[in-house]
Amino acid sequence: MSAPSAPLLSVQGMTKRFGTLLALSEVSLDIVPGEIHCILGENGAGKSTLCNLIFGVHQPDAGVMRFRAEPYRPAAPADALASGISMVHQHFSLVNDMTVVDNVLLGQTRGVLDRRACASRLDQLARQYGLPLEPFAKIEDLSVGERQRVEIVKCLMREPHLFVLDEPTAVLLPDEIAALLDVCRRVAERGCGVVLVTHKLAEIKKAADRVTVLRGGRVVATSSAPAAEIDALVRAMIHRDADAPATPAGSTPIGGTAAPPGASADRSAARAHGATEVLQVDGLTVRDVHGVTRLDNFTLTLNGGEIIGIAGVEGNGQSELAAVLSGMIEPTSGSFYLEDLDLTRAGPKAVTDAGIGVVPEDRHAVGCITGMTVAENMFLSRLGEFTRWGFLRRGAVNSAALALMKHFDVRAAGPEAAFSSLSGGNQQKAVLARELSLQNLTVLLAAQPTRGLDVGAVAAVYGHIRAASARGVGVILISSELDELLGVAHRIIVLYRGRIMGMCPADPGQRQRIGAMMAGHAA
Amino acid sequence: MTTATAPTTAAPASPRLGSLVRRHAAILIPVAAVLAAGSIGLGLVGLMGVPIRTALDAFVGGAVGSPYAIAASINRSVVFALVGIGFVLANRANLTNVGGEGQIAVGGIAATAVALYGGVAHLPLGLAIVLPMLAAVAAGAVWGALAGIFKVKSGTNEVISTLLLSFIAIWLVYWSVQSEALLRRPRTTSATLPESLEIPDSTQLPLLTGDFSFPLHIGLPIAIVIAVVAAIVLEKTIFGTRLRAVGLNPVAATRAGISYGRTVITALALAGALGGLAGSFMIQGEQYLLKDGFSSGYGFDGLVAGLLARGSVGGVIAASLLFGFLRSGGINMEMVAAVPTALVMVIQGLIVIMLAAASFWLDRRTP
Repeated sequence: MSAPSAPLLSVQGMTKRFGTLLALSEVSLDIVPGEIHCILGENGAGKSTLCNLIFGVHQPDAGVMRFRAEPYRPAAPADALASGISMVHQHFSLVNDMTVVDNVLLGQTRGVLDRRACASRLDQLARQYGLPLEPFAKIEDLSVGERQRVEIVKCLMREPHLFVLDEPTAVLLPDEIAALLDVCRRVAERGCGVVLVTHKLAEIKKAADRVTVLRGGRVVATSSAPAAEIDALVRAMIHRDADAPATPAGSTPIGGTAAPPGASADRSAARAHGATEVLQVDGLTVRDVHGVTRLDNFTLTLNGGEIIGIAGVEGNGQSELAAVLSGMIEPTSGSFYLEDLDLTRAGPKAVTDAGIGVVPEDRHAVGCITGMTVAENMFLSRLGEFTRWGFLRRGAVNSAALALMKHFDVRAAGPEAAFSSLSGGNQQKAVLARELSLQNLTVLLAAQPTRGLDVGAVAAVYGHIRAASARGVGVILISSELDELLGVAHRIIVLYRGRIMGMCPADPGQRQRIGAMMAGHAA
Repeated sequence: MTTATAPTTAAPASPRLGSLVRRHAAILIPVAAVLAAGSIGLGLVGLMGVPIRTALDAFVGGAVGSPYAIAASINRSVVFALVGIGFVLANRANLTNVGGEGQIAVGGIAATAVALYGGVAHLPLGLAIVLPMLAAVAAGAVWGALAGIFKVKSGTNEVISTLLLSFIAIWLVYWSVQSEALLRRPRTTSATLPESLEIPDSTQLPLLTGDFSFPLHIGLPIAIVIAVVAAIVLEKTIFGTRLRAVGLNPVAATRAGISYGRTVITALALAGALGGLAGSFMIQGEQYLLKDGFSSGYGFDGLVAGLLARGSVGGVIAASLLFGFLRSGGINMEMVAAVPTALVMVIQGLIVIMLAAASFWLDRRTP
């Protein structure tokens, strides 16, 4: 590529608030034609917000954009599309019942649908960019990678000047990722600007011409030679490498829980409780409705006080494992026991009653009911403890909730505040408070517990998990952030395509080996 | 003191009125909506060539013109209120029960069957009255629960299933009164109507005053008790909280140990039970025999009362009273002033739309 030409898209001082949350603060960057510009950042850094502002989903509170040397102020995605900006969202917007061609034609055609012309155009694009697709296959019969190709083709049909992909690789297998990056390169070679949002370093190394790093809604670093500066970029992205979680002394748990001073104490605590097996998982296998094996013969023994981390790229069986262990789905085969109690098909109520606390991966869909109050969310599973003559004693629920809120530093207007009025971090602390306060808590299952949280909330979550472990609670921590697992867990199990690729101690020296296992290389 | 205050009270008369309106907007706006709809309706009556004065007299006469009219209006309101409360209960779990009409129908069949052939007529302690009512409650509950089971087992939308179950129930009434093997009265002449025998006096709902010129029956106090209980269940019990949790987020409710299936089926069974009870009131309190079409669309009026109430039991009662008197007045307007039925329906529809618009407007004003 020649010296950077006039910018295709120029973003100046973009600021966006959601309620009290400052999602983006004074973000400026340029995209030039023909480059692959990666936006790097952890979950919650503002990457998606930036994309949504560019694509007109949200409007900025401050800041201006220029696109192709014209002022650009999209009021809706339709404006962005009309200007020549296309975007592949994290979540697909495909109609599963319809064919590829019909999905591509959706919203594109006036009058008669010319399916044959569309199919031949698809074939042409497929050859041009290396995106093989069967035009008349139904979406529901396609793999995730193929569905994404449909989304990409939908965008490319419009011959965009700027092509935005929001975390496109999160759901892909490694060879699919490689193919996707090739497509991005070919699109860029045709003079289109490509914005690739990611938090994966391998992709930066492989594909990025330039990188902008976001953290906490601000631009914290930029690089024009990212492959050479990868370490500096990582430091910029996860600034907390200096404090939490690798040196846990920085993360003091909040509240009066007996807390270990650090990981070494954790480990001795684990040894102290070591002898007692609390959870025995034996050969769990989950096949989905299409007969695809999502979790394959998963076996593990968890001791009291031990924290086992489950590592892996998302979509390699972690969600299924969490769903089975929390009683939300039944496994196809295999079993799991809490101490001597068979909970394999017992359902969520029995799982909770037996003493397994669950912090679900998807807080809004599973973890809480945003339309109810903080107190109701904290005690929904335990309302029976607060009745007199069949009536619910709201006062008692509220004061119990207030005590929990204090103990876990949940900041809200009060126990009667709507759960939706809490920030993400406080919502997650409330969910943790609920699960950690189960009377007979023996095992805590925490899936992606720090996703989307700010640094302070992350530290609090780690503190509570460590405190629980110090009390002798066995913890299964599922996370896609390897650093988190290395800092908090005692042992790490790596999942790849639903199988256990290997297990190793949570030692930062194992990083390379774990990375290789996450990518599917037996170690 | 007095001299100083006098001018200040006099001067800002209109701002005061403004703040009065603002403070009581929740009452005044719906009232204004009803009045506006009524005026438009009367305008339409005028356009049809019926003297407005005659129509209005007939309407008022039918709704409140005599003790008999008032009692009939209230009895009607009681039926609407029961269906509406059932709607609100199920709606708390985000379920839309549009099957009130069918639940009334099966309730009516069950009440008639037990009253006529259940051998209850000579039972003591009010059992002659209560057993047909309980049969109606059970029949309505089954009819509602069926929709719940369909939803839980196969994901059938309850709007579809409750509506289609209503058609089945309505035709079951037709079958029951056409077949002598079922409830049709023995055919004595060729002119015997397709309807059941009249239920025994002892199974009919007692009148509150015992005076047939003011035939208000004990359905009213029963409905009031049910309304109070329903309001308490919704606001003050675990079951009410669970209904709300399932309605807001079924997955998170399941995770919290609440059985989605049981909650959905129970909620629809309760709604159906109240519809069944309403059916028994119509048979045992007003009509005293089963005939085709006896449910007269009351299930749908009750549904609208529930919809307009937006989740509040008090709102159901207000809307039911409004519709009860409206229906009575409308029927009389049709009979006395010869205003076409269709126009009466149009006016009712106008009122519903205006009320819905008013509540929408109120919602936007106070977020």
